[in-house]
Amino acid sequence: MEMLLEALTSLLTFESILTVLIGVSAGLFIGAMPGLTATMALAMLLPFTFSMEALQGLIALGAVYMGSIYGGAFTAILINTPGTPSSIATTFDGYPMARQGRAYEALAAATMASVVGGIVGVIFLLILAPPLARLAVAFGPSEMFWVAMLGLTLVASLSSDSLLKGLLAGCIGILLSTIGVSPVGGESRFTFGYPPLQGGIELIVALIGLFVIPELLTMAAEGRGALPGGGELRKKEVSIAKIARHIFSKPVNLIRSCLIGQIIAIIPGAGGNVTSLVAYNEARRFSKDPKSFGKGNIDGVVASESSNNVMVAGSMVPLLTLGIPGAPPDAIILGVLLMHGLRPGLDLFTESGVLTNGFILSMGLAALLLLPVGLLGGRLIHRVVIRTPYYFLVPSIAMVTILGTFALRNSMLDVGIMLILGTAGYFLRLIGIQAAPIVLGLILGGIAEQGYVQTLMAAVVDPIPWLRLVSNPLSMVLAGMVLLGAATALVPMWLARKGLLDKVEEDSGGSS
Amino acid sequence: MTFTYKTLAMSVTAVAAMGLAGLAQAAYPEDDITYIIPFDPGGESDVTARFQEPILEEELGVSVNVTHRPGGGGAVAWSEFQNSAEPDGYEIIGVNIPHIIGQPIQRNDAGYETDDWRIVTFFHSTPNALIVSDDSPYDTLDELIEDAKENPEAITLGGSGTYSANHLDMLRFEKEAGIDLTYIPFSGTGPLKGALEGGHVAGIFNYTMLGTEMADSVKVLAVAAEERVKALPDAPTFKEQGYDIVGGAYRGVAVPKDTPDEVVATLEEAFAEANRQITEKQEPLGFVMEYITGDEVDEVMAMLREAYGPILEEAE
Amino acid sequence: MIVRLNTDIAAGALGLVFGAVLWFPRADIGRLSIIFPRAVLLILTLISIALIVKGFVKPSGRQVEITGSPLRLVAVIIGFFLWWGLVEVLGFLLTTLLAFFALTWYLARVETVVTWQRMLMWTPIILALVGVFYVTFTEVLNVRLPSGLFF
Repeated sequence: MEMLLEALTSLLTFESILTVLIGVSAGLFIGAMPGLTATMALAMLLPFTFSMEALQGLIALGAVYMGSIYGGAFTAILINTPGTPSSIATTFDGYPMARQGRAYEALAAATMASVVGGIVGVIFLLILAPPLARLAVAFGPSEMFWVAMLGLTLVASLSSDSLLKGLLAGCIGILLSTIGVSPVGGESRFTFGYPPLQGGIELIVALIGLFVIPELLTMAAEGRGALPGGGELRKKEVSIAKIARHIFSKPVNLIRSCLIGQIIAIIPGAGGNVTSLVAYNEARRFSKDPKSFGKGNIDGVVASESSNNVMVAGSMVPLLTLGIPGAPPDAIILGVLLMHGLRPGLDLFTESGVLTNGFILSMGLAALLLLPVGLLGGRLIHRVVIRTPYYFLVPSIAMVTILGTFALRNSMLDVGIMLILGTAGYFLRLIGIQAAPIVLGLILGGIAEQGYVQTLMAAVVDPIPWLRLVSNPLSMVLAGMVLLGAATALVPMWLARKGLLDKVEEDSGGSS
Repeated sequence: MTFTYKTLAMSVTAVAAMGLAGLAQAAYPEDDITYIIPFDPGGESDVTARFQEPILEEELGVSVNVTHRPGGGGAVAWSEFQNSAEPDGYEIIGVNIPHIIGQPIQRNDAGYETDDWRIVTFFHSTPNALIVSDDSPYDTLDELIEDAKENPEAITLGGSGTYSANHLDMLRFEKEAGIDLTYIPFSGTGPLKGALEGGHVAGIFNYTMLGTEMADSVKVLAVAAEERVKALPDAPTFKEQGYDIVGGAYRGVAVPKDTPDEVVATLEEAFAEANRQITEKQEPLGFVMEYITGDEVDEVMAMLREAYGPILEEAE
Repeated sequence: MIVRLNTDIAAGALGLVFGAVLWFPRADIGRLSIIFPRAVLLILTLISIALIVKGFVKPSGRQVEITGSPLRLVAVIIGFFLWWGLVEVLGFLLTTLLAFFALTWYLARVETVVTWQRMLMWTPIILALVGVFYVTFTEVLNVRLPSGLFF
């Protein structure tokens, strides 16, 4: 307790607070730009932290991380392009809300949800780090396989229109993830004799390609900017207080999303990219009005944004206790810790306890500061995006995405892949193959493969190797969840199809 | 000789050429140097480069920019470097063995050749180490070997990558001890920690660095070095216990093949100095500082080729 | 522009083509590395065939609509690829400036004819936009943008 107070005092200096403020603002800006992500922001900040003291450097990284995860919501809501992969689910309801003229409502909800999520994550880290860490290491190869399968059942529920097309998209995503060097055999696959393809397709490249480029192309073809008509801010109609009351009147949604965020955050490798999607899916499943999701239900935005901000502090549980990075930005923070001679583990919380707690508390402060920075910045960004004529907006966003994609791995090939995927994505959208399942397949393909092959390799002495996949208690639980999830997603769909069969045949269009 | 315009022209050219040559020699480096790391930020190569950067800048007097070009376990950066870098010393790239030995043999389109550049130096090595968790039933290497003899293929050892330093030395260990283990490849050192802590593998065959990072919760059964590593004084080497296995990852930098000798010499010195100054930061982390340059480089490469070559060819 | 297209068959056909492209190189790939992709390719093929069958039996969508002007769409697509291709040749800064001017001019033409005066008015804005990002990335973040012939 003393240590906590000491840490608090070390945090409440002018220098630290300024660092947090600047970090959050910079992070917000970076996260909002499609093409620049949290990991990139941290990687770029890294050299600057060397000249800072350990605490300041960590505070800066934490603040930028928190800000950028939140920032992804802005472009997700305003132009249907997630600024960071963690905000993919925010586009599902955020963008429809914006098109209905409720952009401010969506932004305010995203802000408050992110603040709550961020603080909850910090609380989990402070109080529950040790038990959560033990849970984190329980995830071995077979468990990871089931986690990936669980994530893939999301494909089934996300593709409410056409299950087959959704699954097709998922398969395409998984196959795209196999391009490059295979994680288990070490050989290069599907590179067609072209060495640079050994690097495979990077997630962010595909994300930008499949989400941003089609949107840009649509803007260009239609000759319009973001949110044509009805995109007014309408601040007077809906006050922040009212939105806050609405969100907090449904605590279950918030609590559930935060829990999901924390649990997925500690699973190594799955990272925050998936948290928002899972939380969104569960929010829809348990909502009284699931049909309204995808058309502008504020609860969807709340679920997505709260869970992904829990991830910021939440994924540091395995990092600080065991040195296992849960999400890609954590690897960078680990690098900084090691550089300053701080080793993850018990020591970090006892000997360098003041430093560590100061760092953790700084993330809480960053979460709090999201509120003013976000609401102010939100209005600014909203105004800029709406007022900018499309003939500036399209080239500007294109430029930023090209820069961001290039800066990822210093690769023009990545930019090319992004453009190819983007162009293909535009046409795929037309025939009903959505971007989200493809990206999901890309994220989870590698995890599923590794988990599967690793488990089977270890089971080489077993009489029935496949049983190894469900030999641990956690694996059995997860496998059960997969079956349950698939069933609850598919059964209602079959029933609906059966019941509506006649109606569908009458209108020849149906859904596509 | 008679004075003609021709002789005048020739002499002027000669003087100019000498001047330019002298200028070129004396002037390296005068522009910024780009130091390419073929891996993601935050990894071992990156952290080391960050340590080296300020000292290199001091020694060379110019800015050294560390940039990352991850992909394909390093192959993307290495193939691009060999195809497009200029031999003027302004672009240097981090190299790791045995990666650069193994990949061109194993993959039919790695895009580069093991020898198609000039390796300036290897500045440190991380020897392999066999690590088990504290509550493992094995206290010594021999106990593990005994168990392996009774239950072939039952003991799982995790490692980073396939046919990487970890894997290759584990294969050598299998041969030397005459046992059959099962190697489980992971995509890096990060996941290995979790795997060991969670008991998903019986042990890991990784680098000494993990041994120091996880010092309180693991036992290091053996280290693949000539002598005991300073950071792990209680860990016996393979050699001590009767198995001639010395290996691990060596990290260094390379420049294109035709880079002038003076440039290489300048870089050698700068890196050696950087090494000296960062020793106290790196040794406790489990690194072994090396000062391998020039012909020694070829020796080390040859030694590792001999040790690993047959195994890699078999795998083909 | 409305294109009459059975979306189910199109999707299924696409799936099969994609699968075929990835199916053929499999000879070179070793045992361990091919287990997983082969399984997924199989599932992909099954789903594609199911989609094609569905397309004949109970099609869901018989037309696709390309909103706006298809000509503009194709022009912008080509424009993006040209932008990408020229970066290595002319250097990032020059290519981006050119691309920006070209795209802005082309897209603004939709509303009205773009006069020279308007282009002139925009020049400082474009220079500032591109310049700020270029400088931020090269100087502040130390990213080496391709420099091509000029800068």
